Amino acid sequence: MTPPSRTSYRTVVVGAGIVGLFTAHHLARSGAGPILVVDRGFLSSGASGRNGGGVRQQWENRATIRLARESVEAYRRFGREFGFNIWFRQGGYLFLAENARELDRLRTVHDLVRSEGLASEVLDPGGVAALVDGIAPEAVVGGTYLRTDGTLYPFPAVWGVYEAARSVGAEVALGVDAKGVSVRDGRVAGVVTSEGTVTAASVVNAAGGWSGDFSRAAGLSVPNVATRHEILATEPLKPFLNPMVVRTSDGLYFSQTMRGEIVGGLTVPHPTGTQGGAPSSIAFLGAMARALAGLIPRLGALGVLRAWSGFYDDTPDGFPVVGEDPRLPGFVHANGFGGHGFMLAPAASRRVARAVLGEGVDLDPQLFSPARFTTPAPASAIEGLQLG
Amino acid sequence: MTEGSPRRFEYDGSPGAAQPGETLLTALARERLPILQRSVRYHRPRGPFCGIGQCTGCLVRVNGRPNVRACRYVPKDGDRATSEHAWPSVRFDALGLLDVVFPNGVDNLHGLRRPAFFTGFYQRVVRGLAGYHEPPSDAAAAALKAPVEERNVEVLVIGAGASGRSAAARLVARGLRPLLLDRGLAPQPVPGADLLAGTTVTFLPPASPGRDPPFDALAFTEPGRGVRVRARSVIIATGSYDATLLFGGNDRPGIVTADGALTLTGRGRLPPFRRAVVVGGGERAREVVERLGPHIQAVVAPGEIPPELVRAASDRGIRLYPRSMILSANGRRRVRSLELKARGSGPRFSLPCDAVVLAHRRLPNGPLFFQAGAKMVWRSGTGAYYPDVSEDGATSVPGLYAVGSAAGVLPSSSTESAARAADRIVGGTPDPRPLPRVSDSGRNELEGYYRELLRVPRSGRWIACACEDVLFEEVVTANASGYRGIEVVKRYTGLGTGLCQGRYCLPDALLVLSLLEGRSAPEVGYITQRPPTVPMPIAALAALSGSLTMETP
Ligand SMILES: Cc1cc2nc3c(=O)[nH]c(=O)nc-3n(C[C@H](O)[C@H](O)[C@H](O)COP(=O)(O)OP(=O)(O)OC[C@H]3O[C@@H](n4cnc5c(N)ncnc54)[C@H](O)[C@@H]3O)c2cc1C
Ligand code: FES
Repeated sequence: MTPPSRTSYRTVVVGAGIVGLFTAHHLARSGAGPILVVDRGFLSSGASGRNGGGVRQQWENRATIRLARESVEAYRRFGREFGFNIWFRQGGYLFLAENARELDRLRTVHDLVRSEGLASEVLDPGGVAALVDGIAPEAVVGGTYLRTDGTLYPFPAVWGVYEAARSVGAEVALGVDAKGVSVRDGRVAGVVTSEGTVTAASVVNAAGGWSGDFSRAAGLSVPNVATRHEILATEPLKPFLNPMVVRTSDGLYFSQTMRGEIVGGLTVPHPTGTQGGAPSSIAFLGAMARALAGLIPRLGALGVLRAWSGFYDDTPDGFPVVGEDPRLPGFVHANGFGGHGFMLAPAASRRVARAVLGEGVDLDPQLFSPARFTTPAPASAIEGLQLG
Repeated sequence: MTEGSPRRFEYDGSPGAAQPGETLLTALARERLPILQRSVRYHRPRGPFCGIGQCTGCLVRVNGRPNVRACRYVPKDGDRATSEHAWPSVRFDALGLLDVVFPNGVDNLHGLRRPAFFTGFYQRVVRGLAGYHEPPSDAAAAALKAPVEERNVEVLVIGAGASGRSAAARLVARGLRPLLLDRGLAPQPVPGADLLAGTTVTFLPPASPGRDPPFDALAFTEPGRGVRVRARSVIIATGSYDATLLFGGNDRPGIVTADGALTLTGRGRLPPFRRAVVVGGGERAREVVERLGPHIQAVVAPGEIPPELVRAASDRGIRLYPRSMILSANGRRRVRSLELKARGSGPRFSLPCDAVVLAHRRLPNGPLFFQAGAKMVWRSGTGAYYPDVSEDGATSVPGLYAVGSAAGVLPSSSTESAARAADRIVGGTPDPRPLPRVSDSGRNELEGYYRELLRVPRSGRWIACACEDVLFEEVVTANASGYRGIEVVKRYTGLGTGLCQGRYCLPDALLVLSLLEGRSAPEVGYITQRPPTVPMPIAALAALSGSLTMETP
């Protein structure tokens, strides 16, 4: 445990995941200190240390595509800027369709992605087979592929941003629980922590799967729901698979990491909420194995090495929540990233920092602002491509 | 199973033969401890280490199936086994140069970033070096398609060692028919109990109180069948295993655990060495001396050597080196000598040898307790986490019992601990008197040992994690860069993320980090182990689907 060194900060960020750390880095760099990041766990104990490392720009909304594209550029520069090699490998993302309806949906995404200037391709079964060596014949009717999507190693990204944020003056207190906020004159005045209350003009809720809990502890009702998602890694193999593969029907996703393991997941339903912890289940192991062996039969002879799980922080419309809560000035949301917060973090956290600093946020408020859940007419757009 | 003709197989193009029931490893380790493997990053030569299917030392590809552990595989006529991940061969591997060219290791975290133009090139090279084997063949996958075996039992006993067998026998005596599972390929049966051999319980999720029966365990029978066992009560009697030790060249072929040395011997076989040095001064070292005596020339112990071991050794003309530290293991590929130093201000000296048998510390086989969500306690005597149990073996999870050395009970009382758990399950009132257990207070002998060792200049490569080729210096660097706690150091260095699931590296890392961080080992962290306990083929898991309901605890 590293307790906070002061009793007063300008901003307290709750959560030292990739989103909280990037946000603290932006804030500290713009001289808006002092900044404190608190996390009740160890570094990378949340979803940022449990994910599949996928980074893609194929989305159903222009706004998401643009954020993701900005993040891709940020991750390409990461090694130079942050000193850590995150092994961001642009092996592409391949979405698979098993029937004409799914392929139509992917085509629509493809058209939108193309219109944003990204070189997405529609593939026939032969084109898919060329990318997925050993795929079962007739497993798919086609797919879409964007070669500049890719995968990275989440851990060094967390270390890099952690060190960078600290080097520009942000303080990171680990093992410290944020229990709520103190409010004066209707706005945030401080954060109540397990180590006492610290004063702060603003607080950033970057608590990942626990963000709903923290908002509610601050008296704000929010629609965020924590859902548990399982993932596994196999024994390593020599490289044979370049892209991240995602199946449209059931959300099966997997890629082969730099270490040669197949890492991937599939959604099996679990009760929502964080209280049950993050165990694995026999149901997942069976469903995932069946999916993998069904798609690439020879993988049947490969061993599953370990399984684990983590929390997505889901919103009803599939868009993250970025911006100040209109009900409680000083309370800034940086959450609701579902299963895609790692890939959106560099771009989204820049907007979070701007919101903290009271600068304009160049995001469609209909899609991203917390106000969209409190206004009487909810926005109709949804980001539906919540796969992989 | 000694009758019958030998099984003829091929290993890297040369013919080999195994007696029926014998493993591929014992067949390949007749004369001496073989080099079977090159390490993942630096292509260091590696050989069998644990002998019990838990390390990365004996991976071969068999009939198109990658990552097969030779020590767990019983060959059939016509099998083709190959080593990969080496060029031209595992014994003379040109890529072994990596170990020479990068004396300080390759820094995957900060290195290979510049020039940016080279990114694609670095990634191709590093990717190509990863992994031990090419992907499986379709035929290998097809050969593993077997339906899952389903069992529904009153009591599941995991482990058929002395304590597991006594628990099972006691249950039989009380009129139950327990199911006994054991990893061993030929465990001794218990009359009246069902026995599944060669079977590892890989996943024991937390029990569902609302479900009857509450336990739902996943197991795996070599070479490829899944087993699903539903049980009312579970007794874990998984015993313990021999730990590794940190010193220079501690991964050299020829260095084995006592488990390894003993499994490679026995059943009329001589050990694959002649002049071994045994490390350790306790019961386990004495067992090794008594069983392998003529093949042992010296015993080296970190602390004092008790009279029984002194007697056992001197009867056999074995020299003794109490209070000694191992600085490094030397040799061109295999170990040829050990560099030692008497503790305190004692002199350095060197012992020629053809094997090193690690018998200094036994650790509990604990992954199932972690998986099942049992409360754990730290016992400093061995420096490990054990389930928190009452005197009748009941863990914090209702219906889950821990007996024998897995529960920290000393060997002399392991059958007693088993009997008590069995009695409790059938509704009796077991003896509440305390059983002798591994100490939970005071210092672990190795702490002082490592404290002193870390002050001596290090020579040779110290391998902190053999599976992932993580150097000890990387752990020191992580600590110096401010990364604290075993969970974070694990993620920072990759230590403990390989095929042994951290069984061999994490316990020592925990002790060393406690010294480096200046706080107690339990403060440095809790070692979590994720399912499955041993890799389970996707085909065996996929076969579960028939019985799969989407219910989860
Ligand atoms: C299995 C899985 C696979 C995924 N795959 C991908 C993928 O391929 N690509 C991708 O982009 N994304 C993926 N994600 C999603 C991604 O990991 C997350 O969206 C992202 O890491 C969220 O980062 P974060 O910083 O918001 O949250 P986290 O990393 O979860 O960090 C939140 C932190 O807040 C701390 N915290 C919470 N409450 C409190 C409190 N009250 N006080 C103090 N500290 C608190 C927690 O301890 C935690 O460390 C995946 C997620 C999972 C679970
Ligand atoms: S020697 Fe076979 S796994 Fe260790």
